Amino acid sequence: MDSNYLLARAKDEDLLKKGECGGAVSSIFQYLLDSNLVDGVLNLSHGEDIYDGVPTLIEDSKDLVQTCGSLHCAPTMFGDLIRKYLQDMNLAVAVKPCDAMAIKELEKRHQIDSDKIYKVGLNCGGTVLPITALKMIELFYEVDPDDVVKEEIDKGKFIIELADGSHKSIEIDELEEKGYGRRVNCQRCELMIPRNADIACGNWGAEPGWTFIEIVTEKGREIVENAHKNGYLEVKTPPEKLVNIREKIEGVMIKMARKFQDKYLEEEYPSLENWDEYWNRCIECYACRDVCPLCYCRECDLEREYYSDSGETAPDPLTFQGVRLSHMSFSCVNCGQCEDVCPMEIPVARIYHRMQKKYREQTGFIAGMSEELPPLFSPEKE
Amino acid sequence: MKLTHTICPSCSVGCGINLITQKQEAVGTYPYKRYPINEGKSCKKGRECYGMITEEKRLLNPHIKKTSLVGSNWDESLNLAVSKIKSYEPEEIGIIGSGNCTNEECEILKKFATSLGAENIGYPAGNFPNFDFETGNLNDVENSQFILITGNVLKEYPLIGRKIILAKENGAEIITIDYPQKTTTGMISDQYIQTESIRQFLDDEAEKIQTKLNESSLILVSKLDNKEELEEFHQMAAKSNSKIIPIMKECNSRGAMNILPPLSEDELKTMINGMNLLYIVGDDLASQLGETLKKVDFLITQSTTLNQTALLSDVVFPSACWVEKTGSFTNITGNTQKVQQILPPPGEAMDDATIIMKIAEKMEIDL
Ligand SMILES: Cc1cc2nc3c(=O)[nH]c(=O)nc-3n(C[C@H](O)[C@H](O)[C@H](O)COP(=O)(O)OP(=O)(O)OC[C@H]3O[C@@H](n4cnc5c(N)ncnc54)[C@H](O)[C@@H]3O)c2cc1C
Ligand code: SF4
Ligand code: SF4
Ligand code: SF4
Ligand code: SF4
Repeated sequence: MDSNYLLARAKDEDLLKKGECGGAVSSIFQYLLDSNLVDGVLNLSHGEDIYDGVPTLIEDSKDLVQTCGSLHCAPTMFGDLIRKYLQDMNLAVAVKPCDAMAIKELEKRHQIDSDKIYKVGLNCGGTVLPITALKMIELFYEVDPDDVVKEEIDKGKFIIELADGSHKSIEIDELEEKGYGRRVNCQRCELMIPRNADIACGNWGAEPGWTFIEIVTEKGREIVENAHKNGYLEVKTPPEKLVNIREKIEGVMIKMARKFQDKYLEEEYPSLENWDEYWNRCIECYACRDVCPLCYCRECDLEREYYSDSGETAPDPLTFQGVRLSHMSFSCVNCGQCEDVCPMEIPVARIYHRMQKKYREQTGFIAGMSEELPPLFSPEKE
Repeated sequence: MKLTHTICPSCSVGCGINLITQKQEAVGTYPYKRYPINEGKSCKKGRECYGMITEEKRLLNPHIKKTSLVGSNWDESLNLAVSKIKSYEPEEIGIIGSGNCTNEECEILKKFATSLGAENIGYPAGNFPNFDFETGNLNDVENSQFILITGNVLKEYPLIGRKIILAKENGAEIITIDYPQKTTTGMISDQYIQTESIRQFLDDEAEKIQTKLNESSLILVSKLDNKEELEEFHQMAAKSNSKIIPIMKECNSRGAMNILPPLSEDELKTMINGMNLLYIVGDDLASQLGETLKKVDFLITQSTTLNQTALLSDVVFPSACWVEKTGSFTNITGNTQKVQQILPPPGEAMDDATIIMKIAEKMEIDL
């Protein structure tokens, strides 16, 4: 295993069958649990259906079959769950690039112990909000969403599979033009391959039935090697052609994301007048702050300043979002959670993503990737 | 750590939330994005609803009043309550449920009252009367061209507020009626009619608004000064084929309404004044009617916490929170949603239905 690239698949038949690609991710989890290197695995199980990804802590490797497969309609975030509830545990976690970015920022701030956590990365081309997915499947695919057994995003298409094995697909572009498809922050997201995790797994460059793995850290190499040595994982070297294809797709995707950044953060960035309108409807519910994986100051200044002010009208937007702007915007990882949960449909992530982009241009600091803290970070805010 | 789906108990919208539990304890909430009503969005009350479970003042065992309220056990407290209930005539007994009780609990409470022959029964419903006209649904809000609102819906019922915003983004006209003060809902409206009372609006301006209403309009009534006013809004809707949604407060206000008589504050006062024994299930009445309650000879309360009402009571039974029992809530648009038990009730607490049945059993009433 000299190369950083390999193809892998599960030895366990169930995991191979149920896994998204080769079930390699689940097999690595199986190895880590069985050999007691971790106490738990944090990933997603299916709640009521394939649109309902529920963060789940698996403590017995037998339960891993329930969490196999990729859920593209589950824009979850693991960073804050780990920080709040799983800090004491030796943990392995399946991370999309945005999960990995949030975790990275929290590690740097000593909110998550990097020695206790294995980050198994999943490449990510974007997630769709579940209710958006349901509506879109009815509207454009003319299919009852309950009849869909699997969904995936591949080659620029959102593809659904029905119980009889048939497929239907529509170009993602077409859906997004009409306001459906991936979340807008995902459209802007340019980290497709989580090279901030220990390994990055995906279907790009993989043969059918195999998972493509890029090894990123020494820790990552160890777990893949040992999962292989201990009979959990079958591995082989990918043909160079596939490695190149993967690289090419990544490049195309990044270009696309940058186009979307220009669109949403510049060309179509809300005007001051629009923002006024947005802030008029803000109900000061703090949902955006509470869900942000980077907002963890114990005694948030917001609370101190506004808690007593339970007024009937919206807070002064400049002071309210201003506190957040000065505390964490340099580190915004564009995970989109704040926008997802805002009950008033205010596109909050755009502010912070735009800020981080400008900051990055000036300082070179890339949130969720750079090893150091943002140059303006002030620890007394914690 | 475990996440389980449940319904937010903090208001009548009925949003879905994920409850986070750890070692059989509620520790937080997590967005439930698959839930059609709120799509993972929730307000502060919703996100913090798990606090009801972990609340410091949770009652863990029955209490009875000696000189002050002291801890007791189920046998002693049930015996005391039952002997008291038996000692009064049914006309002297008042029974009060709550819009926070599940449909099943309301049913059992009603059966209990009927078997007892107690006719003074109801639940606090603010200024909302019983109604049986058809109401709009949440998609209707989003798809309306014109929305007439009473009250500060954005702030008090944010997840309906969201639908108003979506309608506005689709070009809908919004008119809000409220008392003379700045409100978020007023601020986002095309027209904000500030009035001294809802009555004044109905008398002076309703006619003008009526001309704007048609089949793609909707009336959202969250504020009333008086029960009778709802029917007037309903007439406005009926005349124009508009849709209407009355927004009551509690998570099961609409369900309770179908089972128990809704009582306004005045009606409650009148009822309580005539009673010698009052049996309150699930409502903190003392917060508004403390003085009235003090006049009652004997007060029996079922409560999750040691609240004001419990403190005034002669017998207090500790009851279960919404995630500590199984049942259903009916939200403002008439959607009946199941709630499953996720945690055991703390200490010796029991769910309201079980407590009612225990009392019935001791009274040899067959429910
Ligand atoms: C939203 C999403 C988009 C993706 N897009 C691409 C892409 O564009 N290109 C590409 O090469 N690969 C992509 N992948 C990765 C790919 O689908 C496989 O997950 C990866 O190849 C591993 O396959 P496997 O069979 O080894 O995984 P499995 O053994 O099936 O394990 C998958 C693991 O991921 C967890 N998981 C599923 N959904 C999520 C989620 N939404 N968030 C966090 N964890 C989750 C599961 O619980 C499970 O533990 C995407 C994955 C996801 C979740
Ligand atoms: S923000 Fe990026 S990593 Fe996260 S779900 Fe969207 S596309 Fe994937
Ligand atoms: S500000 Fe919003 S997009 Fe940025 S990290 Fe926080 S939640 Fe994610
Ligand atoms: S979530 Fe939306 S409404 Fe709530 S405080 Fe944030 S911006 Fe305002
Ligand atoms: S709007 Fe009502 S039901 Fe929804 S989260 Fe807020 S309090 Fe709960």
